[in-house]
Amino acid sequence: MGKRIVVDPITRIEGHLRIEVVAENGYVKDAYSSAQMWRGIEVILKGRSPNDAWFFTQRICGVCTTVHAIASVRAVENALKLEVPYNAQMIRNIIISAHALHDHIVHFYHLSALDWVDVVSALKADPVKTARIAQSISDWKLNGVPTFRSVQEKLKKFVNSGQLGPFANGYWGHPAMKLPPEVNLLAVAHYLQALDYQRKADMAIAILGGKNPHIQNLAVGGVATAINPDNQATLNMERLYYVKQLLEEVREFVHKVYVPDVIAIGAFYKEWFNYGRGVDNYLAVPDLPQDTKGEKFDIPGGVLIGGRLSSFKPIKSFNDSFFIENVAECIAHSWYRGEWLRHPWKEETVPEYTGMPGGYIDGRGKYSWAKAPRFRTEKGYLPMQVGPLAQILTGYASGNRLVRKYVDSAISQLRSVLSTLGESPEGVGVDMLQSTPGRHLARALRAQVISDLALKQWQQLVDNIAKGDYEICNKATYPKGEIRGCGFHEAPRGTLSHWCVIENGRIKNYQCVVPSTWNSGPRDHSGQMGPYEASLVGNPVAQPERPLEVLRTIHSFDPCIACAVHMVEPHRGEVVRVKVL
Amino acid sequence: MKVCILGVGNILLSDEGFGVKLLHLLESKYTYEPPVKLVDGGTGGLRLLNEIATTENLLVLDTVNAKGKPGELVVYRKKELLSGSLPLKLSPHQIGIQEAISLSELIGGKLKDVRLIGVIPESLEASLELSRPVRQALPRAERLALAVLDEWGIKVKMKESQQTPKPRGGSRVRRRSDEDS
Repeated sequence: MGKRIVVDPITRIEGHLRIEVVAENGYVKDAYSSAQMWRGIEVILKGRSPNDAWFFTQRICGVCTTVHAIASVRAVENALKLEVPYNAQMIRNIIISAHALHDHIVHFYHLSALDWVDVVSALKADPVKTARIAQSISDWKLNGVPTFRSVQEKLKKFVNSGQLGPFANGYWGHPAMKLPPEVNLLAVAHYLQALDYQRKADMAIAILGGKNPHIQNLAVGGVATAINPDNQATLNMERLYYVKQLLEEVREFVHKVYVPDVIAIGAFYKEWFNYGRGVDNYLAVPDLPQDTKGEKFDIPGGVLIGGRLSSFKPIKSFNDSFFIENVAECIAHSWYRGEWLRHPWKEETVPEYTGMPGGYIDGRGKYSWAKAPRFRTEKGYLPMQVGPLAQILTGYASGNRLVRKYVDSAISQLRSVLSTLGESPEGVGVDMLQSTPGRHLARALRAQVISDLALKQWQQLVDNIAKGDYEICNKATYPKGEIRGCGFHEAPRGTLSHWCVIENGRIKNYQCVVPSTWNSGPRDHSGQMGPYEASLVGNPVAQPERPLEVLRTIHSFDPCIACAVHMVEPHRGEVVRVKVL
Repeated sequence: MKVCILGVGNILLSDEGFGVKLLHLLESKYTYEPPVKLVDGGTGGLRLLNEIATTENLLVLDTVNAKGKPGELVVYRKKELLSGSLPLKLSPHQIGIQEAISLSELIGGKLKDVRLIGVIPESLEASLELSRPVRQALPRAERLALAVLDEWGIKVKMKESQQTPKPRGGSRVRRRSDEDS
């Protein structure tokens, strides 16, 4: 007999997401993903100057501030065919990199590790054994016995005070928790250390961007960060060297803590590499532009179909029609007026909420505020999975040297940890990244790649300034009549694109196609599931009342429902309802 | 003593922008002695941890879904925010102010006193404007904030530029518009 399990809202994510699954014999048979809030932010932008759009779009979401700012200026620059000075590209690239590092670290340790790590079990660990395990996987400086002992004492005090705070919503003692107490303690210690390192990444953004969490230094055509190596009031060498120091510290943490932790935890949950694949078409856009036009990039992008590396087709420039012409959004199952599938420039946003008759999702009708983005291919309009996994797989398929190096090294480390645990390393390869823990590993590897590239951008910026080039911005001039632009950015959660139509220097239409819409969107006109939905089918569910496994797969995407309503609400924690069908 | 005023919320969703707008008001209107840090936190969640972990006294300005009429103000203290005695959760945020405060304690933050001044909203529609009852609550909330700062021993002075314009300035504006017409 089947059971319908409703989790609403999913906690430890940004925004309000509802998941309904139908479970039978301990496995998920069907799934629905429903975004429960409408933003409508695009409406605010109509009639405004395109120069100001980024200032508003970075307020869409408190987590993805710089991300929406970057995509917005790129969209307007694309419409104007405006080049961006080399210095400005590099400053933006460093901000993009630091933001990604901050975001990936926070996502793994603070938003999703608790799905795999049992905090309460860490109290039972032997700190000496923890240190031995930690030192066997990494030579990180904070892997000594005193560190683990002091973390355990702090944790004891915290738990005894009854203030569980961030640990309040965990499924402690759940049968799907598999880590020994020592590894749990290791993860908790790194959880606390990660708080320091995410902050360092954020500080680098604040130095370059003026303020945090909302940067102040962007402009259509470049940046507003005045450069003068000798002037205290501008971006000078002292500040630049401080940024470098922060980036180096974060890089060390990613290489010596984040990546080894994900590999070790993954090894304990080896069977999970069989779950959560879902939609295996992948889309990633290139980023970290290396020239003023956006034709050469440090991070590659492109499309894969059916999970096959051989199907790779690249996206080559900010102007590539292969991306710009093939994105569409469908509202057949979304709470908007109509049934259309349209290109973003031709969309209109007319909300029409029809609710959930009977209190549950009926998949035949409309059931989400998210639209269903699709990518046009020879096989029709397909759902695409976006995010670090898409970026790592397309990067690997494109033959990118840095991506290949870190992916291959992680796979060989995973093999060796499995052997230590007495498990067979057979079948461990690139393909297993297409899974729930694989998404976490891909994110860690993306962080590893970016932690190197951040320093490369820094060096290029400093070298260019040393040549005497202080250019930071090209002026935007708006023509009479209508122009259209698309700005894309490979954000921490995946491909983000902003689409603008400008008429006589004013915004006429503005659409944001965000990564979490690609992933969380509902079914489309032809009934194809979105990536969240498809990834849940086949997942185990040991206890319907405590659907930890559902959270694992959903969290692995790093959802950001971006409604950004920030109310103190009278809800406490997650509400799980189970109905026997 | 380090004091931080943190305005949070989303200025794109009408009354959700209350905290940030009140913060900007306090920033543009007054000077503080000893200086306080004024932070426009938006909907930053965990990204605000740095500010929270490095201050001693924290004043949060926010929108609150408590029982009452739109425009009514509520004040919470640290104990109430942390104890779980309030039926509140900064959801649907990934990690809200409450979690950030308790996390700051775990990493050795030195928070002594926390106050949250919150307004009950009328509208959360996409708009840059506050609703009328919430807009009307701004002066009361401003006085509440100043009272908290006074309790913490902060001397607050109105900036010169904010004081009532002298008649001469007013007449000059009028003269220019006369010339225009």
